[in-house]
Amino acid sequence: MKNRFFKKKYLALIIVLVVCFSCIKDTDFDQATPITLTPIMEVNLVEIQETSPSFLDSSGTEMPFISDLIVLDVLSSDFFNDNLIKAELVFQVTNSLNKAFQIKMDFYDLADMLQHSFSIDIDNSPSHTFLVTEHTEVFEAMSLAALKASIKLDITITLVSNATSSVLTDDSDGSIALTSKGIFYLEFTQ
Amino acid sequence: MGVFVSLHAQNKQLLYGFKDVPQQILLNPGAQVDHRGYIGVPLLSHIHFNAGITGFSAFDVFADDGKDFNQKIRDVVYNMDAKDFFGFNQQLDIFSAGFRVNTSLEKFVFISFGLYQESDVFSYFPKDYAVLAYEGNFNNLNRRFDLGQLNVSAEVLSVFHLGVNKKINSKWTVGFRGKIYSSIAQLSSTENNGAFTTEQGTNSFLNHIFDLDMKLQTSGLSFLDEPNASEGIGILKKRLLFGGNLGLGIDLGFTHQPSPEWTIDASLQDIGFINYSKDVKNYILNGYLEYDGIQSVFPQVVSDQTAQDYWDEVKNDFDELFKVDSTTTAYTKWRPIKLNSSVSYNFGKKIEKECNCLDKSDPTFQNRVGAHLFAMKRPNHLQWALSAFYYRKLFKGLQLKTTYTVDAYSFKNVGLGMSAAVGAVQFYIMADNLLDYQNLAKSQSVSLQLGFNYIFKNNEN
Repeated sequence: MKNRFFKKKYLALIIVLVVCFSCIKDTDFDQATPITLTPIMEVNLVEIQETSPSFLDSSGTEMPFISDLIVLDVLSSDFFNDNLIKAELVFQVTNSLNKAFQIKMDFYDLADMLQHSFSIDIDNSPSHTFLVTEHTEVFEAMSLAALKASIKLDITITLVSNATSSVLTDDSDGSIALTSKGIFYLEFTQ
Repeated sequence: MGVFVSLHAQNKQLLYGFKDVPQQILLNPGAQVDHRGYIGVPLLSHIHFNAGITGFSAFDVFADDGKDFNQKIRDVVYNMDAKDFFGFNQQLDIFSAGFRVNTSLEKFVFISFGLYQESDVFSYFPKDYAVLAYEGNFNNLNRRFDLGQLNVSAEVLSVFHLGVNKKINSKWTVGFRGKIYSSIAQLSSTENNGAFTTEQGTNSFLNHIFDLDMKLQTSGLSFLDEPNASEGIGILKKRLLFGGNLGLGIDLGFTHQPSPEWTIDASLQDIGFINYSKDVKNYILNGYLEYDGIQSVFPQVVSDQTAQDYWDEVKNDFDELFKVDSTTTAYTKWRPIKLNSSVSYNFGKKIEKECNCLDKSDPTFQNRVGAHLFAMKRPNHLQWALSAFYYRKLFKGLQLKTTYTVDAYSFKNVGLGMSAAVGAVQFYIMADNLLDYQNLAKSQSVSLQLGFNYIFKNNEN
């Protein structure tokens, strides 16, 4: 009887030992460095669709330029400030008006100081075919800081006359269209 | 007396049908009972933890292999899919006992009752959320990020139960257990729908489609706002004793022994529900938005709207889209129903070489082999496990059971359980996933339970 009792104890001890001396091998839990996520978000931005009357004043004569202003407080938000490491603004302009243009993008900060500026030159289309112009503005380092400081975007479309262009009238053929997207390189470290 | 410690998913294949351990009756109220009664020591009669994860093990991430940690995490994330899940379950018996009502060995009724506390956490892996977090929508044109993949639930509750087990004759034993659930705290977000998709725009580069239909239901979480910790704990204690959101449930089970050799048994646990009406807070995110950019309108041209107005409109649309509505509407949830069933064959009676009238050796079968099926209803799938087992009486007071289990976590799960009795005190220990004990980091689930019971044996013994 005593022998049996010891056998039971012995068996229980083996199981307890298996449990207690089970181990974790070949691992290094110190390597748990912060996890970094680097998603790239692509977001549609400003759209422009204009025909010739948009560039004429009430008397039907060409204006030197037209402009529009957007307050983009998103740019200076904490989210972008903390996580944006690079940005690309991609523009595609399709022009079939027989008029050349310069599209200028001015980024202003809260104090109305110009932080960043660039322009895209658009050729005129004498035969009213669709001329496609692409431009990618890359924001890194200094220009990225300028983008993050900005709160307002001023878009100016200046009419440019040259030897082959014609004067716009109410019934000039063609249109100018701008489409744009932002590619935002984000980085989150946890 | 009882002490249980266990780590694994809710399958208790070692305990199920282990007649020498009184707690087996909680898994099948219609299990065969061969003792007059038992008492568990308050708070110590059943302590049980189990946790499991599919898709990866700690070793995949923490292996000392010189690979970049972030890259390993990324590999794990990309190897998993939305069917992978994480489950955690914990039980603590507050008290438990059982006794036989009449004394005939052929026909009797066995009453068992108790109160236990349980925690359950379950989550699927929201793969699309992870991919979106890793990659963003860039290079994922037309990919539908399924927001419905967020499926998570967590609950702490107490369960009072009373079971009646009736041995009808030598062939049939049936039983049921009534349960009153008292939910202490609960949260679930299991009814999510919708998607985020970026498409090629018609007149623009991109068209972003936000289709949100998401819901988070919570109850009993207001104690978190309680600034005084002891008052918060006071609230929780009250809820433990029927002060929470209440529900009802039953367990059903039977054992059929058509011949002394063969046994078939099955049980359904937690056929029941909880109605959450107290301290409820639900959060709803519902909306649809297609965004394809900000129209610049040039005020000189059309004087009544500027790009700014358009942008403000877009911003308002987004604010509206992501506005979280909260309600206090009561809700009802079904308990995760569990099925256990086994078929087994008894063999190898112990035969003394010489007749000894004083011999009190065990006349029953010494061996049992069988197959056991476990299944459990999860929000999106049936969690299952199939085990083959072998049970052996080594001596009159020492029994062993070993199992080989195939389930979602592992195809090489070997378990071993033992019950030993010294007088009325019965001790048992059960460990699962033994092969993984050589290196726990490689394990996707681990299980261990051990305990003591005070058993009133049959007079005949």
